[in-house]
Amino acid sequence: MAKQLRIALAGNANVGKSAIFNQVTGLNQIVGNWPGKTVERAEGTLHFKDHTIRIIDLPGIYSLSTFSMEEIVSRDYIAVEKPDIIINVIDASALERNLYFTLQLLELEAPIIIDLNQVDFAAKKGIKIDAEKLSKTLGVPVNSSVAITGSGINELLSKVIAAIDEKETLKPLKIRYGKEIEKRVQTIEKLVSSKLPQLCTIYPARWIAIKLLERDTDVAGKLKNYENGKEVSDYAEKLAGELEAIHGEPSPVIIASEKYGFATKIAQAVTIIEAPPKISLEQKLDALTTHKISGYPILVAVLASMFVLIFAGGNLMSDGLNYVFGILTTYTETILSLLLPEIAVSLIVNGVLSGIVAGITIALPYIVPFYILLALLEDSGYLPRAAFLMDTAMHKIGLHGKAFIPLILGYGCSVPACIGCRIMETERERFLSAFVVVLIPCAARTVVILGLVGRFVGLPAALALYVFDLILVFLLGRVAFKVLPGEPVGLIMEMPSYKKPSFRNIVLKTWSRTKDFVFIAFPIIIAGSITIEALSLSGLMNYVVEAADPLISGWLGLPSAAGVPLIFGVLRKELTLILLSELIPLRALSDIQMIVFALVTMIYIPCLATVAACVREFGWRKAVAIAVVDIALALFIGGIAYRVLSLAMPA
Amino acid sequence: MQFRNRRHHERRHSHSNEETISLTSLFEGEKGIITSAFGGYGLVRRLAEMGLTPGVEIRLIRKCPFRGPLQIEIRGCVLALGYGVASKVFVKPSKAEANG
Repeated sequence: MAKQLRIALAGNANVGKSAIFNQVTGLNQIVGNWPGKTVERAEGTLHFKDHTIRIIDLPGIYSLSTFSMEEIVSRDYIAVEKPDIIINVIDASALERNLYFTLQLLELEAPIIIDLNQVDFAAKKGIKIDAEKLSKTLGVPVNSSVAITGSGINELLSKVIAAIDEKETLKPLKIRYGKEIEKRVQTIEKLVSSKLPQLCTIYPARWIAIKLLERDTDVAGKLKNYENGKEVSDYAEKLAGELEAIHGEPSPVIIASEKYGFATKIAQAVTIIEAPPKISLEQKLDALTTHKISGYPILVAVLASMFVLIFAGGNLMSDGLNYVFGILTTYTETILSLLLPEIAVSLIVNGVLSGIVAGITIALPYIVPFYILLALLEDSGYLPRAAFLMDTAMHKIGLHGKAFIPLILGYGCSVPACIGCRIMETERERFLSAFVVVLIPCAARTVVILGLVGRFVGLPAALALYVFDLILVFLLGRVAFKVLPGEPVGLIMEMPSYKKPSFRNIVLKTWSRTKDFVFIAFPIIIAGSITIEALSLSGLMNYVVEAADPLISGWLGLPSAAGVPLIFGVLRKELTLILLSELIPLRALSDIQMIVFALVTMIYIPCLATVAACVREFGWRKAVAIAVVDIALALFIGGIAYRVLSLAMPA
Repeated sequence: MQFRNRRHHERRHSHSNEETISLTSLFEGEKGIITSAFGGYGLVRRLAEMGLTPGVEIRLIRKCPFRGPLQIEIRGCVLALGYGVASKVFVKPSKAEANG
């Protein structure tokens, strides 16, 4: 009989939830070696032994409290939507910390199964875990897996089905705190069950009691909606005060300490240390790349070599593809002109065809190598190291090291980078990071910078643009930091171990990102090309060009025709260069014009998709504010650059 | 809200057993036992949830110069802490010789 089941993947950050998700659904949820990749929950469906299973991949969290949005969202999902079972994914090499989260799931009385993941990596560290003993101790089924290779995944699904189907014989562990806490928890629990029966249908009474004793503001807020809520939460607050008076610590710390005490005890009982940990290659690499002296030159070298590789690889491919497609286009045009009227040929060749060709020859050669290198960077575990090294610098713009991760992602695409700003803890920091992230030249802008300035003016000029952009980001970040109210937060981040990137994963990730790029960008590029061709055929182009002329050629010193591509660039940034190349031969531009054009494209309004992402994350007003500031800034800097460069390097 | 006021020792004056010092004053490779953390409610709570609770052993792996961030090992995990965060955590250095 077919049954529809709902299961959720939950656990700490970077334990392999997304890898399991991909294995069971065949979907391509982005996997990587840094904490905080999954900021949006992903859903998929799979079929297993007559069952249809809806599976949801929750963001990685360390606790079910209220520190971040993700924690509140996850615990509400678990408590309110009540999935049939939760797969609690655990990093086998960090059992103690992971069990702290497991104990919280048990307190929420959620049905769980534990998946000990990355057992291979733990074994390398000399750690072996007695899964059977862990299962007996916790009273829940335990599975072992290596998700990235798919080992243990079928067993996991079988155990999931078994746990749901056969009436579970295991009895989940209920932890009892020390006398001082336990007494108070039970008192509040009784009060909660008698005074708030409706709330107890959603959350377990004991869990509410513990959370109230921990002074959980979200739970206290929920109580306000009930008649006796205030009375209960006031009473709990009084008891929390008593507890704090006894221990001299905040009540959440007292309770966390005790809970960690249980986690430690369980972890010690089930862990078998096989070999004393010796210094591994990964650790040596870690020491070298986060070292206070060697770390920084390595960081600069890594980033610089990335750009040189993208530039060199891109140029080579671009030249080759240009040659091939140049011949193809000429042939197609000759053949088509025998069959169709001139205007149709013109629309097809200059609109559709040249759009596709420009997309392939200008954009793809730079984007594909970039995606490969980004995937390598993500999977190796270098990103958190870079974040660590950049902590002090990021504090200068009111952020902490973690913000460096969305910043790096911004070089790929601003949209995931904007959403990635959710790894920052507060609303203020998320906005501040997004504000600087959209100024980072994404792959599309890299196409313009490398494909125009790098190619025709030279690599040093292109690199100068990147450096200028970084200075701009720093200055603007500093201004925004001073203007925006609020206190900066400090860095607390897990440092995952270095892992050898899997070839398969790199290929998959590059392919899935390139595919997205082709499917999203090419229709827009083609539509843009057709529109431009139609505008110029109908003669409407002249009006647009004339209207924009004072700004484009008067202020920015660009050819008048450049105005139209800049307008279309709002759709996609690489479109500016592609359309420009269709209007005027790129070599006809002077060096200064190329630099100004790339500069304006780099800074002005983030593309529509990015604005949409900002609207979703921060609301209309802030998104529009970012866009307006960026346009004004781009035009201002472009005009100044034109004048300064004209003085500095007379043609 | 502030619990357990402790004086903030910027520099270590003695290695006396009684002394609790800021985590930032540990030497690289040195171990210590956390005694307390002070600061905002949210921060103290977050630290506890990441495993930095009183009584637990912590090892300073390395620190960056100029009030830069620190890497610590706690409960078998490696964490990066900003200088500001780490300076609010107090430890009692372990007597055992630090190696490494």
